[in-house]
Amino acid sequence: MKKRNQKKKNTQNNFAKLSVFQNQKYKFKKKCPLSGKGAPMIDYKNVKLLRRYVSENGKILPSRITSVSQKKQRELSLSIKRARNLALI
Amino acid sequence: MNFYEHTIIARQDTPASQVKVLQEKYSKIIEDNEGKILKFESWGLLHLSYLIKKNKKGNYIHFKIEGNGKTIKELERNEKLDKNLLRYLTVKVKKLDLKTDYFKKTEGMDSK
Repeated sequence: MKKRNQKKKNTQNNFAKLSVFQNQKYKFKKKCPLSGKGAPMIDYKNVKLLRRYVSENGKILPSRITSVSQKKQRELSLSIKRARNLALI
Repeated sequence: MNFYEHTIIARQDTPASQVKVLQEKYSKIIEDNEGKILKFESWGLLHLSYLIKKNKKGNYIHFKIEGNGKTIKELERNEKLDKNLLRYLTVKVKKLDLKTDYFKKTEGMDSK
């Protein structure tokens, strides 16, 4: 029983990442993984990278979950759409 | 002059020799219309993530072109008419990345 309860809690925390009452442990990362030095280039040919920012159903994940910056999210969505057109994703 | 990346997908049942014919045909169109091919990549037969005209796989051909609007217009006009092709995509870029080839590694892994 206990294990089951824990699992439920975890899934809830994934959705309620912005809650004020959240546990300190589950605070979301602030840094954008795609900007800064040494970050990978966003490109429609780089399917491996794009797969990370797409849900299982092929939807684009919102930036509040992936903590991608606003500028990079725009680039990302454009290149995901290009990759979709070529049936890469 | 602008830089473009151009990708076309051919039908799954086109043999390798036919793919080469396609490549030569479109390189000729590019060069006839003031264009210049800087790099050519053949990504090979890849799985499509969804069906296009009842095709599960597609032959991907990729060009990196230096040219102007006329070149692309003529190229896309010809591709619209071609029944051997499933899709085409042209992307205008400021700078061409000639080094990285994202599909070379995956090809090697498939053959292993």
